[in-house]
Amino acid sequence: MTPVPPSRGAARSADPIPARAGIGLRFPHHDHVLAHKPDVPWFEVHPENYLGFGVAADDLETIRRDFPLSLHATGLSLGSADGIDAEHLGDIAELCRRIQPGLVSDHLSWSFADNLHLPDLLPLPYTLETLAVIAGNVDRVQTALGRQILIENPSTYLAFADSALTEAQFLGELTRMTGCGLLLDINNVAVSAGNLGEAPADRLDLLLEYLPAGAVGEIHLAGHAIRPLDSGVLLRIDDHGSPVSPEVWLLFRNLVECIGPRPTLIEWDTDIPAFDVLWGEQATAQSVLDACAWRPARVFAR
Amino acid sequence: MSSLASLQRRMSHAILDGDIDSMPPLARGPIPLEAAFEVHRNTVLGGLSNALRLNFPTVDILVGEAFFDQMACAYIKAQPPRRARLMGYGDGFPGFLDTYSLVDHLPYLSDVAALDLAIDHALVARDESVRRSVAIEPGISLSLPVSLTGLGLSYPGDLIRAALHSADDQALAAIDLTRQPRFIAIWRTGRQAAVRSLSPPAGVFLARLLANATAEEALAEVFTTTSPHVALPAIQAEVFAAGFARIDHTNSDGQTP
Repeated sequence: MTPVPPSRGAARSADPIPARAGIGLRFPHHDHVLAHKPDVPWFEVHPENYLGFGVAADDLETIRRDFPLSLHATGLSLGSADGIDAEHLGDIAELCRRIQPGLVSDHLSWSFADNLHLPDLLPLPYTLETLAVIAGNVDRVQTALGRQILIENPSTYLAFADSALTEAQFLGELTRMTGCGLLLDINNVAVSAGNLGEAPADRLDLLLEYLPAGAVGEIHLAGHAIRPLDSGVLLRIDDHGSPVSPEVWLLFRNLVECIGPRPTLIEWDTDIPAFDVLWGEQATAQSVLDACAWRPARVFAR
Repeated sequence: MSSLASLQRRMSHAILDGDIDSMPPLARGPIPLEAAFEVHRNTVLGGLSNALRLNFPTVDILVGEAFFDQMACAYIKAQPPRRARLMGYGDGFPGFLDTYSLVDHLPYLSDVAALDLAIDHALVARDESVRRSVAIEPGISLSLPVSLTGLGLSYPGDLIRAALHSADDQALAAIDLTRQPRFIAIWRTGRQAAVRSLSPPAGVFLARLLANATAEEALAEVFTTTSPHVALPAIQAEVFAAGFARIDHTNSDGQTP
């Protein structure tokens, strides 16, 4: 394996997102947020919906005047063997320059190959070859943006026969090689564990065991769908279309008790409800963070 | 080609083509491979269909959700996305509809799609920025916004759109669907897009200006088909006094006083 140097661009943001509960902002709620300026500590958006100019981009600049913002990308395709789309990266960098986000993140996945872009977070084989590819891509992004990015653990439906590392080992190595952080999506932990026949708590423990102390820069919470298959097996689908499940709330509480409060986001992307529903979920997440605010972060590096 | 690149190429084509047999080797788990594969395929096709639906809302209303999805799948196969930014996905959709045999009985559908697309483009344009400033006479110029599109249609796509979005069945039924040239101006007005039909002389004049002709050249073309006493009042009312245009008075140095 070719050694990948630590990222030259990795740097802490000068405008951090607070370790409080925020909300994923989607276009149907722009009017509400612009008109009412709700008491939400921060918002997160998908930058792909705000690139260039136009109504959405203008809204975002207005909202940024009153709220810290985080950018959660879905299209950088960090695991792509074909590399990073330079034009797309340039667009993301320009948006970062305009709105000065507190955090920037994308996923441990790929979506671009053979000049095709598929709007999905497609799975990667966890091999040393893949590790070198994604480390190089993360380094390129961090250098272009001049900052550290966070990488989100994926929802898994299938695994490759030739994976040599676990997801936890892979993410641990990636953070060490590039200086990137982890966006720990608890819902994805529950979805992946359910689909792979694992206990969600065990999967979460394994992630924490392999990650450097302090690597978790953000937490995501969302709902998922459960579909019974003919075989009787339950297929969990990460659709972000329902309230956070009790199982995920429990994992979240245990996680925050373990590592201390982190910026935590409520995501809801399909069948988007009224803003007050999201606000209620946000309040629940905030109450968990408040209850654990006194706890010192446990050191969990191997 | 690296093994990862090869895997990703196989997988992307397998998902788009719905061909699970082309997938790279997968590990057996509790979830059957067919079900896991379908999650990814549904996410990709659903995401692209929804992107098209957002960009072509009038077409969606006109043909209904199920048929729209069918058209979208055919378009996705013919012109898959090349970029992560899906806001602009579908630039080729109006042209595709011209060739899609299942909508041969809806000859106006391509024009409706072209109007949806022009509105989408106006909404992602920078508000109030000037696209070009045209000298009208010494000391007077006409500024056109960067969001402005001039669209030539063969069917009354603007009337169809207005009737559908206001759920006015009577107005929809009364539309004359005879093929005849129409010219539409579309531009951004704050958080909305304005759509206005223009008379032939005003439409030709604006089209020529948007194609970088001078005012004299644009007028000369208008006068080949329309007399000045008919054309000039139309141009005055529909272009000069329209909401999208701005008249600038400049001093002898060419600067705005």
